[in-house]
Amino acid sequence: MIYLDSAATTLQKPARVAAAAARAIHVCASPGRGSHRAAMAAAETAFACRQAAARLLGVGDPERVVFTCNATHALNLAIASLVSPGDPVVISGWEHNAVTRPLAALGAEVRVASGPLFDGGGALAAFAQLLTPEVKCAICTHCSNVFGMILPVEALARLCRQRGIPLIVDASQSAGCLPVDLDGWGAAFVAMPGHKGLYGPQGTGLLLCGADAPVRPLLYGGTGSASLRQEMPDFLPDRLEAGTHNIPGLAGLREGLEFVARRGPEAILAHERELVAIAREGLTQLPGVEVFGDSLGLGQGGVLSFRLHSVDCEEAAAWLGERRVAVRAGLHCAPLAHETAGTLDTGTVRISFSAFNTPGEVERFLELTERLARGR
Amino acid sequence: MVYYLFVCRSLTYAQRVAATLERAGISAYLTRTPRAIAGEGCGHGVKVPPRRLPEALRALDRAGMPPQRLFALEQNGSYREVTA
Repeated sequence: MIYLDSAATTLQKPARVAAAAARAIHVCASPGRGSHRAAMAAAETAFACRQAAARLLGVGDPERVVFTCNATHALNLAIASLVSPGDPVVISGWEHNAVTRPLAALGAEVRVASGPLFDGGGALAAFAQLLTPEVKCAICTHCSNVFGMILPVEALARLCRQRGIPLIVDASQSAGCLPVDLDGWGAAFVAMPGHKGLYGPQGTGLLLCGADAPVRPLLYGGTGSASLRQEMPDFLPDRLEAGTHNIPGLAGLREGLEFVARRGPEAILAHERELVAIAREGLTQLPGVEVFGDSLGLGQGGVLSFRLHSVDCEEAAAWLGERRVAVRAGLHCAPLAHETAGTLDTGTVRISFSAFNTPGEVERFLELTERLARGR
Repeated sequence: MVYYLFVCRSLTYAQRVAATLERAGISAYLTRTPRAIAGEGCGHGVKVPPRRLPEALRALDRAGMPPQRLFALEQNGSYREVTA
């Protein structure tokens, strides 16, 4: 199979990821719940993963790396920590339902900082206009999961710091291939999955917490600490980590983090951009195909959307799937992004890359898509 | 005296303390805090040999990680809180 759906989950992982997860199942018990060897092995595994994440993602101390089930869980924690019912919140026009649904559930007053596709400056200007004193927080994806558009989060973070407004960054599509620097940005929270660009197993995610960020738990329970108190501990990571950890997942995630650190996020991004450029160039040549790409390439990560004027996007994805090319079609759980781009009625076909894809795979995808565009 | 014990608020903090001491060349052993001195219930601590205590305190100070509570385990098995 040619797998071009890494924006959902990277399917190909470094071999060490599965090996570490399998080993952890056999040797690791519950971290912090005992002093026997198996509990200590689990504690060491979790700590090694925290340290690897802190080093890669610009977190000064590993206590502020909180383990979650996925990016959605991490975003829910961040949003619940900063937003109360009725609070005005400014978000970009490219957010995923993992941001918009928690805000809707909380009854926040959502204001959208919109701008044209691949116009980071426009998005920043829109935020600058909307970030007024009563705003409780800003939320921005680092890279659109639909279009691969990179948002200027570093500049946005500076703006938020100047205006004293906490910032939540959704790094779901950027962690592992774009620079993520929690402390450098001064963001309140950065959320990400472990199973995409960090190459860990599914069921893992990270919430990076700013040094002064207030944190509100969503789950309550045992932490192996301060057990006499009926409130959750007031320190991280325990405050946000009730219950037994996914230690096999974290063992795998640690290996994924080390893989990214060894290869270098910049090198992974360069590789993915090379593949995006081949795909963008090839698709642009096809009749009846509309490609959503940044012509200069620098404003785009390893994600590319397109649509065929004569074939429904879901039908196109199914046709490609039958020929063993895995892509994702539809709204990608991001109707706001499609609304902003003007593709809400049709959706798009999305291809997305990882460090393991090759130019040859993209060429094969283009051959098949050409058949599709020309009536099969 | 048998050893000193740095009592920490969390497992992760105790692991940071242990890692900092190990980097300074001081043998440090992670342990569950004995029930008798774990004020709020379960907790974790880091044991260091008595002769390495001054170095350990300096290493933690350099790392910006002041000890939260420090106990000495006496020969008779009792714990005595010590001011760092």
